[in-house]
Amino acid sequence: MILFHKLNTNLHRVMAIPAIILFGLFFIYPLAQGVGISLTDSNGMTTPNFVGFQNFIDFFHDDRAKTDVYNTVFFALGSAPLLNIFGLMYALLLDRPYRGKAIVRAIVYLPAVISPLIMGYIWYFILQPGRGFLYHVFEQLNLQAMDGNWLGDSSTALKVIILVNVWQFVGMTMIIYLAGLQSIPQEIYEASRMDGAGYFITLRYITLPLLYPSIQINVVTNIIGSLSVFEIIIALTEGGPGYSTESLSIYILRMLYGSFTGYSTAVALILFVMIIVPVLIFLKLTRRHEIEM
Amino acid sequence: MKKTSWYIVVTLISLVSLVPFYVLLFLSLKSPSLTFFEGFSPLPDFRFLNYSEAWVSAKIGRAIFNSFIITSGAVLIIVLLSSSAGYAIARFTNKMNKIIFYTFLVCMMIPAIIITVPLYTLMKTIDGINTHWAMVLLTASTALPFAVFLYTNFIRSLPKEIEESAIIDGCTYFTAFWRVTFHFMKPVTSAVIILTGLGIWNNYGQAVFFLQSQEMQTVPLAVSMFFQKYGAQWNLMAAAAVIGLGPAVLAFLIFQRYFIKGITAGALKG
Repeated sequence: MILFHKLNTNLHRVMAIPAIILFGLFFIYPLAQGVGISLTDSNGMTTPNFVGFQNFIDFFHDDRAKTDVYNTVFFALGSAPLLNIFGLMYALLLDRPYRGKAIVRAIVYLPAVISPLIMGYIWYFILQPGRGFLYHVFEQLNLQAMDGNWLGDSSTALKVIILVNVWQFVGMTMIIYLAGLQSIPQEIYEASRMDGAGYFITLRYITLPLLYPSIQINVVTNIIGSLSVFEIIIALTEGGPGYSTESLSIYILRMLYGSFTGYSTAVALILFVMIIVPVLIFLKLTRRHEIEM
Repeated sequence: MKKTSWYIVVTLISLVSLVPFYVLLFLSLKSPSLTFFEGFSPLPDFRFLNYSEAWVSAKIGRAIFNSFIITSGAVLIIVLLSSSAGYAIARFTNKMNKIIFYTFLVCMMIPAIIITVPLYTLMKTIDGINTHWAMVLLTASTALPFAVFLYTNFIRSLPKEIEESAIIDGCTYFTAFWRVTFHFMKPVTSAVIILTGLGIWNNYGQAVFFLQSQEMQTVPLAVSMFFQKYGAQWNLMAAAAVIGLGPAVLAFLIFQRYFIKGITAGALKG
């Protein structure tokens, strides 16, 4: 009984342990193993040989990999800023008292509830040239000439994918900005109004600086999410035409299916570096701008 | 901005967000045909048979069952483990808890796809392929860093006094957490349930690897079947998607009440 009581009074000291054990087994351990696999010519069947950094060297001589790096970075540079600009615009627009507030918010967030894969299929149908939903809308408006094979054309396909992605996840960035806006005390706005500051001056010098925590969270999650983009591309173009929309995540999985296990893992680690470097740079750059309230 | 023009903009935003849902519902009630639209009518011909056909041929009922087991199991584990970890990290600062917190923080930036290969080996070793329990543990652990981050920040924003009064009444720190603190965490728990739960319900990247048998298919796998196998049977795919969407939308609507509050305290403060 005394033993039990002693255990009970000390239990709070180890409450973080179960989480880290589960995480260690299913994440940290495989991650460490992955570093090992990336240094071998493992193909999932024969005994792997140690090849040093050969996989990493191969990556930099691989033209398909270069295309995929370009696509992935292009996607991220398109998606992340657009998501933040539209998310912020939506939040500023909707952050006021009005009837049906909760409903409008839920509606704007709703697309993010659907799997990107299914969302991709829906847009694939909408964008079918000559027979999709959009074509029929154009037809009604006598604008058939506007219709085009955007997903089948390598110069437009990736841009369309960016727009679909922004469209789907703008509600998520909006919610974070709304949460940030609501934590700004109203008195600050009143004070600035009394000083005669207009809307854009207030936005630039008061709202945006106070939104820093929201901006940080949004930019970081958008960098991570967009650099590892996968499902939406699978559904819309499967990486085509050619490799013109293939992202690194897709490449990793295809190399894996092709039994280039060692190489695939090496590419995965390169992707990890591609993600963590911009995130750390961004966090470093924005750190000193944080404002204590 | 003037009131009327503001209402027009907001209505437009809402409509733009709803277009694909309209398209999805439209398709799910349309007869299969070669052209996608014969002529243009804003209403489909209400072929409810699509739903029963999709239900049977995609085994969507089975898929919902699988998704439900995996999602609810994983969310339960996530909430229990990450809330107690967040409590320990937020309230009892010591070296171990600090290391655990920073480990989670760094790993939050690692997309799950990176560990697919070694994870596959691990899943084979523990006989976890095509099982509910392994998928539960796997998806739960992938979502843990973010949940721990939210809970830690949220609990930091709660006053310590709520536990202290319970401790005076004879609770230990451990029991005080479950009996008292836990009840104050509705907002952040809602945010965690929505964000991680939807991610797991919609998980495709891992499910496609670790749930290969038809019996074990989850909703995204079942819906994608229509797209790949039968050359895009749009009406059935849409019906299956609508059925599979139902539980996710319902859960979102239930938990969204506290969503913003939970994000505010969980992600933006602390």
